[in-house]
Amino acid sequence: MIRTENLTKVYRMGEVEVQALRDVNLEIQDGEFIAIAGPSGSGKSTLLNMIGCLDKPTSGAVFIDDIDTGKLSENKLAEIRREKIGFIFQQFNLIHTLNALENVALPMFFAGVGRETRLKRAEELLAKVGLGDRVDHKPSELSGGEQQRMAIARALSNDPEIIIGDEPTGNVDTEAGNAIMDLLEGLNREGRTIIVVTHDAEIAARAGRTKRMRDGKVLD
Amino acid sequence: MKDAFLLVYRNMKERKTRLALTILGITVGIGAVIALMSIGYGMQESITGQLVEMVDVIMVTPGAMEFGSFGEFGSFTDRDLEAVNRIGGVKDAVAMRGTMEDVEYRGETFRVEVVGIEPRDIGAVFGETVKLEEGGDAGRGTTGRELRDNDHKTCEIGYSIAYDYFSDELGVNDRLTINGSKFRVVGILEEQGGFTDIDSQIYVTARDAVTILDNDDISVIFVRVRDIEDAEEIAAEIEERIDDNHKLDDFTSAMTMGSAIEDLESVFGILQAVLIIIGSISLIVASLVIMNTMLMSVMERTHEIGVMKAIGAKNRNILSLFLLEVGVVSAIGGVFGCIFGVIGAHAISFGMQTALDVEIAAIVKPEVLLGGVAVAMIVGVLSGLYPARKASKMSPVEAVRYE
Repeated sequence: MIRTENLTKVYRMGEVEVQALRDVNLEIQDGEFIAIAGPSGSGKSTLLNMIGCLDKPTSGAVFIDDIDTGKLSENKLAEIRREKIGFIFQQFNLIHTLNALENVALPMFFAGVGRETRLKRAEELLAKVGLGDRVDHKPSELSGGEQQRMAIARALSNDPEIIIGDEPTGNVDTEAGNAIMDLLEGLNREGRTIIVVTHDAEIAARAGRTKRMRDGKVLD
Repeated sequence: MKDAFLLVYRNMKERKTRLALTILGITVGIGAVIALMSIGYGMQESITGQLVEMVDVIMVTPGAMEFGSFGEFGSFTDRDLEAVNRIGGVKDAVAMRGTMEDVEYRGETFRVEVVGIEPRDIGAVFGETVKLEEGGDAGRGTTGRELRDNDHKTCEIGYSIAYDYFSDELGVNDRLTINGSKFRVVGILEEQGGFTDIDSQIYVTARDAVTILDNDDISVIFVRVRDIEDAEEIAAEIEERIDDNHKLDDFTSAMTMGSAIEDLESVFGILQAVLIIIGSISLIVASLVIMNTMLMSVMERTHEIGVMKAIGAKNRNILSLFLLEVGVVSAIGGVFGCIFGVIGAHAISFGMQTALDVEIAAIVKPEVLLGGVAVAMIVGVLSGLYPARKASKMSPVEAVRYE
């Protein structure tokens, strides 16, 4: 279970303080598919970064399985990101020098998984997202939709319980977007918790629950 | 590990030009150090090499002076020579009477050092190190011979006297005029090179030196000892005996070749250090090039570092990837530097021989090459440490956002 308690994040931009999150209290149950919707600048991505252990709160706390992540060392946070969380970014964020197989295998490399196991699993994951025939292709040789599917395969690399998507369909056409949502729904059916940030109402509608945000607050 | 190399290789492939320039920087830096060190060893070898074959020799000169020219501060007498011969442990004591004389050949005159020596002593002094030139003889193919006891008005000449001094080359049986008297050349000595005087000397019998050149003064005594272990002790005794003869303190300087080699080696130690410092300047430049390249690489790859961290890379994963990259680049630079250094050393050696007529071999020691690669990697990794740490410490969220 993921829980935030009075989660607050303040960024300093020169002289100006920006309150990205204000006292956010949210609970996400294991196996839930939740969409976080809201306009640009509402704090969706900041919330996602906090839950995904990419950033630390200014005050308040994020608990993942009752562990206060704000109190963990950088190394421990890296371990949580590696073992428990899979990230899907709007811009795909694939390593452009590596091919599909190597990109998908990379998180397992950081986890210390043996080379053979790694490559075998990466191949299976690529087949799972429909890219079984694209293993040798570099990201630049694939369409936006295919790149995002490659990113989903990478997110599944270490078999995480939580999948976090920051506008995962934001950079692909409707058809590819639907295919991605189908994949995410499938992953949710496998029992994984899916948290997706979007400002697309149709996408949000496919989630089990939608939370809206505005001005750094979660609306009830 | 294979995958870490793969990551590094893929990344290096992306930045070929900059990588090539960085490797070139290291190559030049390491190459300069290796070339200069190899030439330094060559210089050392060309000078001490000859002395090493004469380790059982003590050179006795008048006047307390350092290793070098002789005959400027008085001279020895036959009584001194006898005193030296009486010291226990002395195998041979050979006197040389050296003076500067006017030497004329076919109308040209030069002042040359003419050394009087007992013919039978030549072998005792020079051993195997100084030989007659075989079949040279200004192209006439005669080997010539050594001086003999009953020779009269004959001489053996150094290589430069035969071939460099006079417009016409001298050969066996040619005659030159020393201090007004005609002397016949019986042999030409092999080229010694290095920094000895033998190439520019003329040897005559001791009797001719005394009777014809009127030179009775012994300018140097060469002493061969039976046991090298006793050389220092015997040298001290020689100084004491001759000083007693002349009733002077510190008149005699008896230097063992062993100590001469030590002196020279310490001089070469300093020379070598200076050469290394000069070479190190290019190494420092190379290390700045590496640091600059790696800093740029870190900046360019900020986003990628962020992504790697987001998908679970720890700080030490990022640090080791960058260090591995700089290590690989440095090792390649180090190996190229060795090749460049060896070629450079031989080029310098060849250049010195053709342009300056100084024969200095390039002595490339394997440990210098291994050291070169090691230094390249140490310098590389140290220069890459700051950029790599900077990369590893990046905040993942900021790095991912960086475009």
